[in-house]
Amino acid sequence: MSATVLERLERLPRRNLTVLALRGVSTLVPGGWQNQTSPEALISDVLGSDDLDLVQQVRARADELSRARHEGYRRALSLYDAVNRSQKAAGGLRVLANVAGALPLVKRLAVLTPASQTLQAVDLSLKVAAEMLAFTQVNGLPGDSFAAFGDSLREYSGEARVRMAALVCFDALLPLGDNALHRLDGLLGQVGSRELHQLPSYAGMASLLPGRGDAAHLSFVRRGVDQWLGWADGFVGDLGLSGQRAVRALETTIGPWHGGMEQLATFLDAFTDTYSHTGVQAVARRLVERAAAEI
Amino acid sequence: MSRSLRWGIGLLLIAGLLLGAFFFLPFRSWLPGGTVANIATREVVNGTLFNRLFPKPQTGEQLVFTQEKRGFSQARLKQGAEVRALLSISDVASSPASRNKFIHSDERLQSWPLVDQGSQASALLVADRFQVKVIGQGSGLDVQQRHELLGAFDLSALAALNPAALQAPAIPSGRGALPPGNQAPLRLPLPGLQRQASQPSKARGPQPAANRKPSLFNRFNRANAALEPAA
Repeated sequence: MSATVLERLERLPRRNLTVLALRGVSTLVPGGWQNQTSPEALISDVLGSDDLDLVQQVRARADELSRARHEGYRRALSLYDAVNRSQKAAGGLRVLANVAGALPLVKRLAVLTPASQTLQAVDLSLKVAAEMLAFTQVNGLPGDSFAAFGDSLREYSGEARVRMAALVCFDALLPLGDNALHRLDGLLGQVGSRELHQLPSYAGMASLLPGRGDAAHLSFVRRGVDQWLGWADGFVGDLGLSGQRAVRALETTIGPWHGGMEQLATFLDAFTDTYSHTGVQAVARRLVERAAAEI
Repeated sequence: MSRSLRWGIGLLLIAGLLLGAFFFLPFRSWLPGGTVANIATREVVNGTLFNRLFPKPQTGEQLVFTQEKRGFSQARLKQGAEVRALLSISDVASSPASRNKFIHSDERLQSWPLVDQGSQASALLVADRFQVKVIGQGSGLDVQQRHELLGAFDLSALAALNPAALQAPAIPSGRGALPPGNQAPLRLPLPGLQRQASQPSKARGPQPAANRKPSLFNRFNRANAALEPAA
């Protein structure tokens, strides 16, 4: 039996590179971000009371809910995990290629690694699709409710807002440049099933995407991305996000960076798991909100 | 190859196949533990039905639905950007323990038992089946405001959703009224049996609605008639 959602929350790191990176990005978002890793603190925050007995009841109910397979809370986490694993694998490969590129004998390896902008665009859109699927799992809506997802993005607050800021900065602005969002649609247009299969996260997510076959999956992803783009454009404009600002915000927490933006993105991909970190926190909050209402 | 070795290998193969089938074929959903408290999802009222029973937001307020599952629906009451309260309706069929807290409560709201949990939560048990709860968020709500919010839910419509109330004879029986598993009338392809079974309803005069969607009682009568043609 794997861990429940609240156990996963408890095991999240309190201070490591992931937390520092998120703290850096959170300086760009009004309202800030708190690294919530204690289930008890989360429960008493939702419940507005510190009564130990009540907190324990909520915890027991939350564990029962997350053990039930039909409820989808754990499936949402497995989506985040699939995306995270593949991000780390791809990031690690690219770091290796960067290192290998400096060594004369193994220089050829660098050519083999999938780091093109198209692949980066697919990676980003798979993350958006995972976000949307996880949203439907947690909220209990049918798997292809694009409009509901678009509406709910506007309601994102707290950790979800920081998560979206991290997604926009680390996966769009840093690797693809400041006009990433406008180029994304064009880049996705060039994607075929060959590029799709080069990404390990696609293999992990393919069974969870609605529709059968690469073409259906790709059109699902593109429709999801369309919804997300509409919102992300406004988000970037409101907060004035840009690659430069993201780098400066990150430098406040993880120290000075002398390389290029693309390398920073690669580095973050390989050594942090911001996406699943904030994902666990967001799912845990929804779960506790439900458990508190049901005890 | 000795006889016992052959038997051993054969049994191992069979065991391997059975285990493989158990773990790799999609039987998971048939195993217990798929639903909350192992109660079949069809026995829990769908959360979609709860959505229209939430209080209507007043001016300056906004109601944002956040979760809608089998037996549960939740919304946030927002004023501007600030979340004031979490409003929710849940079916206690999957959480029987939550009923216990209402046993000793003397407080009543529209005749339903009312309980305060901690400093920010108030709960109401409607028709012994649905729990309506308001949890203050952010700067919080006082007891009076929470009780007002609870009263603003459409409680009478909620009580009418109770499956036990739906089965009562006062309400005309529909497809959803029959307990699960009994929803389609059983029709045996035996011509003699059908002719006999249709006699008693003819004798009681024209009842088109009862003929089309027979209630449990009606069906029971028919079955009896089929068994004893003389009656």
